[in-house]
Amino acid sequence: MQRKSIQIVGVIWTLVYASFIVWIYATEPRSFRDVATNTQVATGTYEINQEKFNSGLTLFRRDQFRAAREEWAAADSAQRDPRTQFYIAYSYYREGWGRTYYDRTLFTQGLAAVNRAINLDPNRQLVVDDPNLQMHKPAELKAELEQGLETSWSDLNPLKLFRQRK
Amino acid sequence: MKDYAERNRALLHFVAVPTILLTAGLLGGLRIDAQTRQFVFIAPPLVTLVLAILLGSLFVRAGTIDLRHWLSVEQPALTNLSHLLTLLALFFATAQAFNSVLPETGLLHWMFCFFFLWTLWTNQFSTFDPRRLLRSIMVLFGTAFVLKHLFMSAFSAPDKGWLRTIVATFLQGISVDVPAFAPATGYISFFALAALCGGSPPDSTCSYGIRSGSD
Repeated sequence: MQRKSIQIVGVIWTLVYASFIVWIYATEPRSFRDVATNTQVATGTYEINQEKFNSGLTLFRRDQFRAAREEWAAADSAQRDPRTQFYIAYSYYREGWGRTYYDRTLFTQGLAAVNRAINLDPNRQLVVDDPNLQMHKPAELKAELEQGLETSWSDLNPLKLFRQRK
Repeated sequence: MKDYAERNRALLHFVAVPTILLTAGLLGGLRIDAQTRQFVFIAPPLVTLVLAILLGSLFVRAGTIDLRHWLSVEQPALTNLSHLLTLLALFFATAQAFNSVLPETGLLHWMFCFFFLWTLWTNQFSTFDPRRLLRSIMVLFGTAFVLKHLFMSAFSAPDKGWLRTIVATFLQGISVDVPAFAPATGYISFFALAALCGGSPPDSTCSYGIRSGSD
């Protein structure tokens, strides 16, 4: 009887440990902290670092976009929070926006971030209620970024010099 | 007293050995980046699975693994399941042990693969005893370990030590594409190999490890 119970424990333990190893190799954590974060994501207990998020927001409002992104990257290290990813995308948009040109590299990175935000919010319920922003939904931001990456004859329109950053 | 022995033997067969083998599997693909000191997990390449199968078939041929004892219709399903999981853990650990001692890319990767394949393939057709097989396997892994983690890592080391000077002299004029990993990678690989050896002891009088738990 005892042998049988040890066998059962052994089988369950082996399956759990093997699953853990497969999970580790699938998620490829870079540090023990990543392991902890991935565990939180897997168990549904993941939360962003609100203090760092707010610090990033303050920097964003001062137009210090790179510093803001650093803070947000630290706040949402697993890139699992749609709101933070939306703000990261917005910071790429604002930094890459120019009256006469758009920075394609920054816009591409912004598009990647906004796509992450959209994927993390499949029901499209995310609305960022921030009066400092003129776009509040990821879809709006995505359209703006995509438009900026497209090349067309309308780019030569001189009236575009009077457009405003959103 | 007998109860204790029976219980300990069961714990060893059904809990400790799979754990040790899976630990070897976990550590076998782990590297530490030399610059960022971050973990790098390298899944076993296809060639390591082939090498693990060849090595497994050698174990079976040599009688170190007696499949009739491991998986049999006369045994309870639970015992068979437990043994099957242990065998899978052994296969995974072996593949990862190869992964651990093979250079990741470049000419050296294929050279090491060739030597392993050659050795394992020629052994398929020779007569040997289990002890001799395990000794030769240990030498094989040991040589690959020394070449990769002492010899080749010295080549990619940032500081100019005496070992690096010797290696550079040996490989003068040869372009060697060696990814730079931190020295901790060598320790991890060592423990992976030690865990594999611990999970599959060569002693035929010892009735644990890759010998069947139902013996």
